[in-house]
Amino acid sequence: MNATGEPLPAQSSPGRSGQRRDASASLCSRLPGGPAAVVAALLVLMPVVLPSRTMATEILIFAMATLACNLLLGYGGLLSFGQAIFFGSGAYLSSLVMIHGGFGLLPALLTAAVAGAILAALVGALAIRRTGIYFVMMTLAFNQTAYFIAYTLSDWTGGDNGLLDVPRPSPTLFGVTLVDLSDATAYYAFTAALFFLIFIAVRKIIASPFGSTLIAVRENEARAGALGYDTRNFKIVAFAVSGAVTAPAGALYAMLLNFAPLENIQLSMSENIVIMTVIGGTGSLLGSLLGAGAWVIISDILSEIWPRWLILTGGALILIVLYLPGGLWGGVESLMRRFRRGGGTRRTPDGVPENAGAAHPME
Amino acid sequence: MNRRTFLKTGLAATSLMMTPPLLRRSLAADPVTFYGLKSMSGAYASYGEFAEKGSKLAVDDYGPLLGATPRYVTIDTEGNPGRTVRKVQEAVQQQNARLFGGCTLSSTALAVGKEINKAGGVFMTPAGADEITASECNKATFRWTVPTYGAVQQTVRPLFESNPKAKRWYSITPQYVFGEALLTAAENLFAELGIEHVGNSYHSTQEQEYSGYLTNAAAANPDVLLILGFGGNGASCLRQAANFGMKSKMTILLAWTQGLDWFQSLGPDLLEGVYLGAQYWHQVDAPVNNALVKRTREVYGINPNYPLAGDYIITKIIFDAVAKAGTTDGAAVIKAMEGMRYDGPTGPEMIRAQDHQVIKDYYLLRGKGKAAMNDRDDLATVVSSGKSFPEGDQILCRMR
Repeated sequence: MNATGEPLPAQSSPGRSGQRRDASASLCSRLPGGPAAVVAALLVLMPVVLPSRTMATEILIFAMATLACNLLLGYGGLLSFGQAIFFGSGAYLSSLVMIHGGFGLLPALLTAAVAGAILAALVGALAIRRTGIYFVMMTLAFNQTAYFIAYTLSDWTGGDNGLLDVPRPSPTLFGVTLVDLSDATAYYAFTAALFFLIFIAVRKIIASPFGSTLIAVRENEARAGALGYDTRNFKIVAFAVSGAVTAPAGALYAMLLNFAPLENIQLSMSENIVIMTVIGGTGSLLGSLLGAGAWVIISDILSEIWPRWLILTGGALILIVLYLPGGLWGGVESLMRRFRRGGGTRRTPDGVPENAGAAHPME
Repeated sequence: MNRRTFLKTGLAATSLMMTPPLLRRSLAADPVTFYGLKSMSGAYASYGEFAEKGSKLAVDDYGPLLGATPRYVTIDTEGNPGRTVRKVQEAVQQQNARLFGGCTLSSTALAVGKEINKAGGVFMTPAGADEITASECNKATFRWTVPTYGAVQQTVRPLFESNPKAKRWYSITPQYVFGEALLTAAENLFAELGIEHVGNSYHSTQEQEYSGYLTNAAAANPDVLLILGFGGNGASCLRQAANFGMKSKMTILLAWTQGLDWFQSLGPDLLEGVYLGAQYWHQVDAPVNNALVKRTREVYGINPNYPLAGDYIITKIIFDAVAKAGTTDGAAVIKAMEGMRYDGPTGPEMIRAQDHQVIKDYYLLRGKGKAAMNDRDDLATVVSSGKSFPEGDQILCRMR
């Protein structure tokens, strides 16, 4: 039983977690440079292949938020519908310190990260007092509260008109501008560099004893507690890390648009982040990038085909959950495995394709 | 990843970044392309559908412009300000887009206006937020819609003057920037006209249940119930007020409505005797409007409504300015638009240079009963119309 009380899409029985780790780790690890090299290659390819660098930047920003959600859902088993609190707060806080405090780019991002961590720790500390559906409802309630606070504080947030004139300052060193971020390519490169660093950092967190314990808490909280771990603290720290990553993503989004819309802190943003996580594959950090990319690109394409495109995305989500329980990354892994073996998927004794939908926690 | 692999990857990355994009769209080749920002999907899709019809009609009927047939491109706003800003950035960067019009949501219009101003383009919108031509005005942005001040002046004043004994007014207001702006304008006018404001109820924009507010209003025994919510808020409030039997006990005024398509959804039984503020009405006898009604019936088989008429005239104004300037250069088009006088769907209209606000009529309509209707769209009659705009020191725009 995990904290949400629901079986996670990417999970198999606790006893098979070690098997999953071994099986999927081998896929990316066999590539030159491992998962980090795959991400680096994708970051380079994205602005080349995608229709615009602005879209590529948006995908990376949402991928950061998805990565943070994945840390909670995929590794901690915590289904949070409150991620927009941190995304929106990061956007507002960084914008306000830049507009009113004259903060530069990096101090503004740091402010967002610290504030996001504190806020997430507070939300997490209260929400994890309940498990199962009540935990989910708590995160929903926190999101609604945050939305109405932002809506009410219109002198600071702009209310429903959004916070306008958000600057995109260029990083400086001793008064010398290092790179002009008003250029779309430069801003993409900056966001990509930040995403890469965050990706590496989150991988290291997952690989650390903390990450292993978090997975243990997800798999069997009672057993982890019996071993002497304070499971509540682990969950709170997971929330804090998630907030520290999500809030700068919100800040980067505000700088991309030069504007912080109220929608950033709406429940629909939380839903979108969760959907991107599920589409990409829970428990897969590479899947986060895939999920965010798929969501943004598919939304763009479908919205031009049919006004009611959200129905199609809903259908796509149902299909993924039913037939690709490991999300898109799980599908990619299955394909890679089939390709390597020349067809035929090995099945476990209970008939489940080996590693179906279970991306490796390290990836 | 070891250091050698990292360096190799970095080298490959740099090389690839230097190559031209593979799938990038080609630059716009046509001399004049109008980019319509329409909510074609999402929560406001019904509005965007009519708005797109208006822009397309204006483009199709325009004829050659700067020696070529003008082109129209729809950018779907999806009812999402963030996505819209990103799409506008892409259009500016990749297609050298400069001429934009539309936007349903005020938040989208405000953000998009700033973005287009940075890019040196031109943007005209029918969005509602007063800030567009006030505190957040900029050189690129023009607004066709009458502000909240004018909407209140042209509805509350004529209604009161037609019945000076109706001195007790109660208001129901959605609590957000737009609702507050309408309420402030109403309170100022109440003070000027000696109207007693016997109470106000605030509600959230997500409110569905108005019985509590209506009970408070009924208890205050007003002569007039002023409903300041619009769209779904206004419709729900009006429906429940009618269910409470308030239509027969007091006069009901909705100061800001969406016009024909909204009236059609409510029907004559509900609208009969209710006073309604509107930016546009298809039955207005003005040369451009008569022509627009005729063409809309021919092409689409319907009467034009507010989104269709608004986006039609916005598109036409920008094309007229391009023709006058002889170029699509943003600064030249803006100069041509400032102070422009033209015949619009509401009669003679003018673009005020000081704040880029279109000076046009606003209407006070009265809902008709089924028996009085000549056709299915004859849902209201024009009681009065006129132009009211902040003047002098009341103009808050500091052009940037």
